[in-house]
Amino acid sequence: MLKIEHLTKCYGEKKAVDDLSIHIQKGEIYGFIGHNGAGKTTTLKSVVGIQQFDEGKITVCGESIVESPLSCKKKIAYIPDNPDLYEFMSGIKYLNFVADIFAMPRAQREERIKTYADLFEITDDLAQPISAYSHGMKQKLAIVSAWLHAPELIIMDEPFVGLDPKAAHLLKEMMRKHCDNGGAIFFSTHVLEVAEKLCDKVAIIKQGQLVKAGTMEEVKGDSSLEDVFLELEAE
Amino acid sequence: MLKVLIKKQIGEVFKGYFYNAKKNQMRSKFAVALWILFFVAIMVGVLGGMFGYLAFNLCESFLAAKVGWLYFMIMSSIAIVLGAFGSVFNTYSGLYLAKDNDLLLSMPIPVNSVIASRLLNVYLLGTMYAATAIIPAVIVYWYVAGITVARVICGILLFLIISMIVLLLSCILGWVVAKISLKLKNKSMVTVLTSLAFIGGYYFLYFKASDLIHNVVINAVVYGEKIKGVAYGLYLFGRIGEGNILATLGFFTAAVALTVLTWMVLARSFLKIATATGKTARVKYVAKSVKEKSIFGALLAKEFGKFTSSANYMLNCGLGVLVIPACGVLLLVKGKAFLPVLDRIWSGYQDAAVVLIITGLCTLTSMIITAVPSVSLEGKSLWILQSMPIEPKTVLRVKATMQFLLSGLPMLFSCVCALLVVKADMSVKTLLIAMPLLYAALAAVFNTMIGVKMPLLNWTNELAPIKQSGAVLLSMIIGWGSSVALFGLYMWQGYKIGAAAYLGIWMIVMAGVTIGIFRWLDTKGAKLFASL
Repeated sequence: MLKIEHLTKCYGEKKAVDDLSIHIQKGEIYGFIGHNGAGKTTTLKSVVGIQQFDEGKITVCGESIVESPLSCKKKIAYIPDNPDLYEFMSGIKYLNFVADIFAMPRAQREERIKTYADLFEITDDLAQPISAYSHGMKQKLAIVSAWLHAPELIIMDEPFVGLDPKAAHLLKEMMRKHCDNGGAIFFSTHVLEVAEKLCDKVAIIKQGQLVKAGTMEEVKGDSSLEDVFLELEAE
Repeated sequence: MLKVLIKKQIGEVFKGYFYNAKKNQMRSKFAVALWILFFVAIMVGVLGGMFGYLAFNLCESFLAAKVGWLYFMIMSSIAIVLGAFGSVFNTYSGLYLAKDNDLLLSMPIPVNSVIASRLLNVYLLGTMYAATAIIPAVIVYWYVAGITVARVICGILLFLIISMIVLLLSCILGWVVAKISLKLKNKSMVTVLTSLAFIGGYYFLYFKASDLIHNVVINAVVYGEKIKGVAYGLYLFGRIGEGNILATLGFFTAAVALTVLTWMVLARSFLKIATATGKTARVKYVAKSVKEKSIFGALLAKEFGKFTSSANYMLNCGLGVLVIPACGVLLLVKGKAFLPVLDRIWSGYQDAAVVLIITGLCTLTSMIITAVPSVSLEGKSLWILQSMPIEPKTVLRVKATMQFLLSGLPMLFSCVCALLVVKADMSVKTLLIAMPLLYAALAAVFNTMIGVKMPLLNWTNELAPIKQSGAVLLSMIIGWGSSVALFGLYMWQGYKIGAAAYLGIWMIVMAGVTIGIFRWLDTKGAKLFASL
């Protein structure tokens, strides 16, 4: 589904991402872990085509994000670390905007908006301007908009930040269901307990370089993910 | 504690002088000094000079008519209006709906200290505006009527009385604005309409002021007697400046009492107002079918949504939408009277009046510059367009289209108005419609190009890309410069080949440039946008 091969991105002299390679298969929830400034967000942004990179190749379902950006983006949904949505729109206008961009038929969008908005309990607030939403509500709206067009690959940067426990639990269920239905998810998180329980595979990045990747068992063995992560950080 | 709070308040008001929002960094000491110098020059030189000049014109005549009190009444009224209206929005945002109310109130700071710092800030700003009118008025009076001890003492006390009245009015008006603002749903539209009403009122008064003042000066005695008869208080107020100790003490005592009362009322109601949630009634979403839009349609609706949601955006980049048709109507009403006059003045320059009308319409088009800040206004939300399956060239085309629609449609109306009053050949009349519309198209693509070439995405206040960016300045200079060139070149050499041929050449050049920039937007511009 997603192949990141030898990805390198520099900001001036500094290598933010250094020769990073990750393969994500259909049905996998792939966690991406690292300290602040390790290069997680840069990698995720490169995957969704909003960050140009210096070297390497990224393909989504076999198509290059550089050569066929539109085709790739049709298969992707992205939720950034901070849900800066269009504050001048109401929630429902934003969802319809996303549906229009992905050319969703009327009946389908109405049904999906209702389903996901009901799940996250934001239906009543959809007429409100986004500027009036709390951080958590914006995050919920961003999640609904991401799931709306049934993408194959979902990229999320710290998706659990700001979510209440119920919504966080719901998101975890949705992530599992999405992957069980043949989709894939690549997300970064600092919540190692969540990553440990939820992810099929995990990659640990340190100063732009991949230090460990594989199935959860391969990475953590008998230890906890937290122990492994802290050990690697200390090296 | 109070000193720290006051310093913070003043620093916030004059933040623009110390902090460059565009570059997101503090200004250098030299730049700060230049900004402060510029501010002083505006306040003392421009505003002070303007009111000083007005005071000179009024003072001698009023003194000759022995109604010096009327002079002070008029100048004091100007100072009070200036002070109260000049600082009303500061009062609203600084006193009642300050963003840091929650933060300060959560700290171990006495509420009275918070109110005192805010009130002092309001007082200082209001006094500053009022001073630009009343200080020149008092000095001019001393100069014309002569200085006495009583006049100096009363003059100083008059200044203090006015500053206290301004404070009182600012608090009341600020409270009203805060109350209305909490209830309003379409704040942007209301702000735009209020601003337009103010601009309209300003120009109405500006054009009528000369007649009004002239009338008052001539009939000073008559008006003076009338006012004295129906509002003796105003007469007494005017007497303060003349050095009437009794009137001065009376009004000073009343002003101090009102200030104390203001403090007491504020102390009682501040917490309630400052912590009010102020949310409008929550609208519950009711599902309803919406029409699907194409990508282009969805993006265009989004652009218009952004435009109509921001009063700053509408007022600074789209005021021409109203001005262009207004000028069309003006042309329709007055055109038949002044066009023959222009034809007579420029009798040797055939169709110069038509070229002037086209130039005027093009100049008005330059007032619509929505495309310039539109890329910058994506700001932190830029990721949405970039991560979605949207061709970057479509985004840029949409931004250009919105500007073209905003300028082209009113322009078409004005062109039709012009057609009805202009006498010219069919070819020139055709160009009268085609030329401004092509200019609107050129301006739209050109402004989009500037917008994508000079983006400002890390702004904290949307005024930075809308009003303070080099891109906006460049767009306006080039827009107005090209309009001036259009008429200037015609009057210099163009008239020799006739208006039709001259405008035809402009059309060909403009069409070429428009197509060139359009292609640039589709290729290099799109790449540039994708890489932002």
